[in-house]
Amino acid sequence: MAVPDIAANAPAHIVARGVCVDFTVRGRTTRVLNGVNLSVPKGGFVSLIGPSGCGKSTLLKVLAGLLPPTAGDVSVAGVPPIEAVRQRRIGVVFQEATLLPWKNAHDNVALLMQVAHAGRGADEIRQRAADMLRLVGLERAADKRPAQLSGGMRQRVSIARALALDPEVLMMDEPFGALDAITREEMSDFLLEIWERTKKTIVFVTHAIDEAAFLSGEVIVMASNPARIIEALPIGLAYPRSEESYAAPEFARATARLRRLLKEGHRQALAA
Amino acid sequence: MGTIVNDRAASVPAASVDKPPPAGLRAREAVSGVMPALALFAGVIVVWEAVARVFNVPQFVLPPPTAIVHVLLAHQRDLGYAAWVTAQEIVWGFLLSGLIGAGVALVIARFTTFGRALYPLVVLFQNVPKVALAPLFILWFGFDLAPKVVLIVVIAFFPVAINMLAGLTTVDANLVALMRSVGASRNVILWRIQLPNSLPYLMAGLKVAITLAVIGAIVGEFAGAQAGLGYMIQFASTQMQTALVFAALVEVSVLGMLFYYAIEWIERRYIDWMPHTA
Repeated sequence: MAVPDIAANAPAHIVARGVCVDFTVRGRTTRVLNGVNLSVPKGGFVSLIGPSGCGKSTLLKVLAGLLPPTAGDVSVAGVPPIEAVRQRRIGVVFQEATLLPWKNAHDNVALLMQVAHAGRGADEIRQRAADMLRLVGLERAADKRPAQLSGGMRQRVSIARALALDPEVLMMDEPFGALDAITREEMSDFLLEIWERTKKTIVFVTHAIDEAAFLSGEVIVMASNPARIIEALPIGLAYPRSEESYAAPEFARATARLRRLLKEGHRQALAA
Repeated sequence: MGTIVNDRAASVPAASVDKPPPAGLRAREAVSGVMPALALFAGVIVVWEAVARVFNVPQFVLPPPTAIVHVLLAHQRDLGYAAWVTAQEIVWGFLLSGLIGAGVALVIARFTTFGRALYPLVVLFQNVPKVALAPLFILWFGFDLAPKVVLIVVIAFFPVAINMLAGLTTVDANLVALMRSVGASRNVILWRIQLPNSLPYLMAGLKVAITLAVIGAIVGEFAGAQAGLGYMIQFASTQMQTALVFAALVEVSVLGMLFYYAIEWIERRYIDWMPHTA
């Protein structure tokens, strides 16, 4: 299998410079993100990891064009995120599958296409939705409603919905956070398989150390108080990854380093 | 109204809606489900009959159930006509309440600025004791159908509006953001996401509205009418025909139950993605 090489010299696909985000609640302004810089290579798999409240989900929303930054520049494929969204270059997957309970899996996958490609024929959209369901291994659950699917299956539908618009970038906000441990690892294998087949650039928010190390070419570690990036750690582990990757010395080294960084950040936050 | 919304939220675990049990089992479950209620009902009737006979209670104070049944049969044509009149009031009043309530909710949800102006007025209006308006409506609209329908609407539109509004606004913000990001207009989001999402809430509101519609019809007839079950109750009570009062009450209750379960049936039939609590 061709292994995507995410060397540091691959062209940058997503770039953020000096990104700040302020939230104002009842007249009080809080800085949620302060001067964040990052770069994600094209076809790369980068995770954002950090404790709750470190602004990792906020950063993802900014990169995905769902939230305008208070200050700083972001570009996705050379254009601002809002524009990239308009050009359908960005697909988003949230922690909750956010499916419509009254529609079956197929219709949920077709939903965004029906809005985005209003001009295209219904047959074409139906075909594409069926293809996407096959890609995520749910072709036999096409007529099942979300309530009839397991948490992992619902998340697969959500991923299929995002992939249906054929974006270059997949932004995933703790997509497996609500799943049990076994399903999580299954979904990790599944996501890497999809990634290797579709060559998307993936930005993945998580607070699980093993998950971040197993999936990513690079893990960006964030800390809170103030919310910032403390390190961008390359995971020196070849793709494709498998069960054995969890036992590799590189994996152990990376997770140990991540654990230490997160603990340090946590201690500093408490002291601050 | 809050409790109604919460009822829907307290959902049965998803697994239980996966596979409906076989029909035979379901029927048996249904029978065993209503048995306690039927037994209790029968017990109350028997005690009532016994008390009325043993203590020789005068008929105009508390007629025994057998006397009520006798009147129900003897006056079935008068009662049937009265029920027909009242049923029309209830149906028209209920339908208009549903339409107006849903319309108010849609306007508030869709036109947020106007909605911010309208919402407090709706709540203010809700706090007017509307039963007290009944004589005014008689004065303005006469003794027939119209004043009862108007009274029902002012009483019953509010739970419809407030429940539906909850359903229109409790949509997943992330999903709405996704829809917007692919260029969905507010109308598209309203039509494809908010409106279907609000239907179970609408049904909860309609179930409250139908019981209020029954009350509205009876109160409207008390205030001034020439026919109907409420009119009959008032007329019979002035004549000390207490058994007839009870007979009319029985018919009102049966009407109310029929309407209520009709709505519940529609809900089960057409809005099947919400797990049912009953």
